[in-house]
Amino acid sequence: MAMIEVRGLRKSYAALEVLKDINFSVDKGEVVVVLGPSGSGKSTMLRCINLLEEFQGGEIRIDGEAIGYREDAHGVRHWCKERDNAKLREQVGMVFQSFNLFPHRTVLQNVMMGPLKVQRRARAEIEPIARELLGKVGLLDKADQYPARLSGGQQQRVGIARALAMQPKVMLFDEVTSALDPELVGEVLRVIRRLAQEGMTMIIVTHEIHFARDVADRIIFMDGGLIVEQDAPATLLSNPKSDRLKLFLRRYQGDYLAD
Amino acid sequence: MDYLASVFAVWIRLYPSLMTGFAITVSLALAAVPLALAGGLVLLPLRMWSGRLVRALAGTYIEFMRNTPLLLQIYLIYFGLPLFGLFPSEFTCGVIGIALQHSAFLVEIYRGGIEAISQRQWEAARAIGMVRYTALRHIILPQAALRILGPIGNQLIILVKDTSLVSAIGVAELTMTGKVAIERLAATLEIFVAIGLLYLLLTSALGAGLRIIERRVSEWLG
Amino acid sequence: MNILISNLPYLLKGAMITLALAGVIVTVGNLLGLLLGAVSALVGRLGQSLITLYIFVLRGIPVLVIMLLGYYMFPALGYRVPAYVAVATAHIVYVSAFVAEIVRSAINSVPTGQIAAARSLGMRRFGILREVLLPQATRIAIPPLLNNSLTAIKQTSYVSVVGVWELTYAAREVVERTLASFQIFLGVMAIYFLICYPLSLFARWCERRTTVIQ
Repeated sequence: MAMIEVRGLRKSYAALEVLKDINFSVDKGEVVVVLGPSGSGKSTMLRCINLLEEFQGGEIRIDGEAIGYREDAHGVRHWCKERDNAKLREQVGMVFQSFNLFPHRTVLQNVMMGPLKVQRRARAEIEPIARELLGKVGLLDKADQYPARLSGGQQQRVGIARALAMQPKVMLFDEVTSALDPELVGEVLRVIRRLAQEGMTMIIVTHEIHFARDVADRIIFMDGGLIVEQDAPATLLSNPKSDRLKLFLRRYQGDYLAD
Repeated sequence: MDYLASVFAVWIRLYPSLMTGFAITVSLALAAVPLALAGGLVLLPLRMWSGRLVRALAGTYIEFMRNTPLLLQIYLIYFGLPLFGLFPSEFTCGVIGIALQHSAFLVEIYRGGIEAISQRQWEAARAIGMVRYTALRHIILPQAALRILGPIGNQLIILVKDTSLVSAIGVAELTMTGKVAIERLAATLEIFVAIGLLYLLLTSALGAGLRIIERRVSEWLG
Repeated sequence: MNILISNLPYLLKGAMITLALAGVIVTVGNLLGLLLGAVSALVGRLGQSLITLYIFVLRGIPVLVIMLLGYYMFPALGYRVPAYVAVATAHIVYVSAFVAEIVRSAINSVPTGQIAAARSLGMRRFGILREVLLPQATRIAIPPLLNNSLTAIKQTSYVSVVGVWELTYAAREVVERTLASFQIFLGVMAIYFLICYPLSLFARWCERRTTVIQ
């Protein structure tokens, strides 16, 4: 049984259909990278998986359990209460493009926030774990600093530690290096690669194609709310089948060199 | 020299009544401030986190209170409650009127502070499994509280000045004391200077005190 | 309801006076305040201190007291001034202090880089004020100025306390005659609401338009 299963996922914002029919699954320990142009719906899809967004059609299963809504006796869908959805989010970690650290708390407090206030565990129990996580992302020396004092790359690594502190089954990364200065990107990608090597199940939305080739077990290419191609990195990147993917790869690898 | 002496003479004569008036002004403020702050807190969940009908009703009430003069609200309470068999004192009517109007302004300040906290903080809180209450308590409100201290302080200073309106229904606070004194003695300027200085003392002290509170809270919250 | 309706013409006349009074107070008050605020960006330390003192004193004292001052001051000085003029003057002075503070703080919040750029082009104080500071400060200042004017309109009701006739005074007259306090006061409040609420919505619309989207 796959860790994440997405079947027939559909989502619209009012009249605009952003996800048209998404189908894929992710096995335990697999790393899936999602590529696609702006507006393809990749972030929206990611946010449906941790129920930050509601979806209107299709089904998402995490570790076998359907999430997001309940069907009543007549088969009518009712979106779950916030309480239930919040429970799900304890098992699915998310790291954001704009880091979203809590500015009024120190780095260490940010990492401990989830276990302390959501899982209600004792501080004595969590603090060593939190420090260990900070060590793992290379920021133990910044434990008592406030986020405003850290660079973008450092803040993002704290964001990763904060998500990991909840001991999630799955980690979702939403363009986590897009807001960073180029020289800070590497430190974040290194942390993510390490997580992949340790066997974390991950879905990564990114523009970093080299990183995708390096880390992904599988790449999904999305465009216009649909999955256009999915395959192993080596195959997909060297032999793109669809025109859209070919165009996308050319644009991203050509940078501003004229077409 | 002569003139200064006469000024002081007036002030000394007025001293007892001025102090009584001042004390009543301060009492009005001390009574109304907590009621207004609490009233705003009561209105807040009605305005932000209720069903559509309740939110609309709360919104209408708030807009009505904010867009009508306080004087009329006080008159309504003072002249209207007896029709229901209630006869609160002028002082009480004044306090209720001031508290009601200012709680409407305060709830909008509270709301503005909360809404100003970026959506991204909500997302980060929800992403680690927080429900709305937990997110508000640990993430949103601490950040909002710091930002709204300034506007709340300003609103409270306005509240203190609004206590002067209660003179319209006969409460012997500072302004009324001054008015009576002017009509008795003819020393208009001296009396106004006295009243003005006392009010300035009150509002400046309040302003300074609020700034200190602001500083302390920001240190405490980090 | 009937008592309210039958007295409506009388009350509406009061509303007219209120509007006229408010119009004068808001217009002259804003002009005076704008002048003071702009001047404070031009003058030296002494001038600024004087203006600061003016603002401090007028903002720290209730408008009712200032109005009583205006009402009793003129006769005390030996001038015979119509009551309307006396109270209007007091309110104008009061409003001008708030406007001056708003304008001043708006001018100060224009990014200093703008001033540096203007000076490097050779502009001098008055030119910088006119071409760079005022246009940008105006955008920042409009929402608070509108809210301030809104407050000024509501404050016209206070002139009834010294016996000047306008909507609130008319309301009290009617209530004293008919004893229908609830109807009349609520009805008059509704009239004020109809005057003020649109302005409040407009102020909020302006605020949305001038807010930088993050």
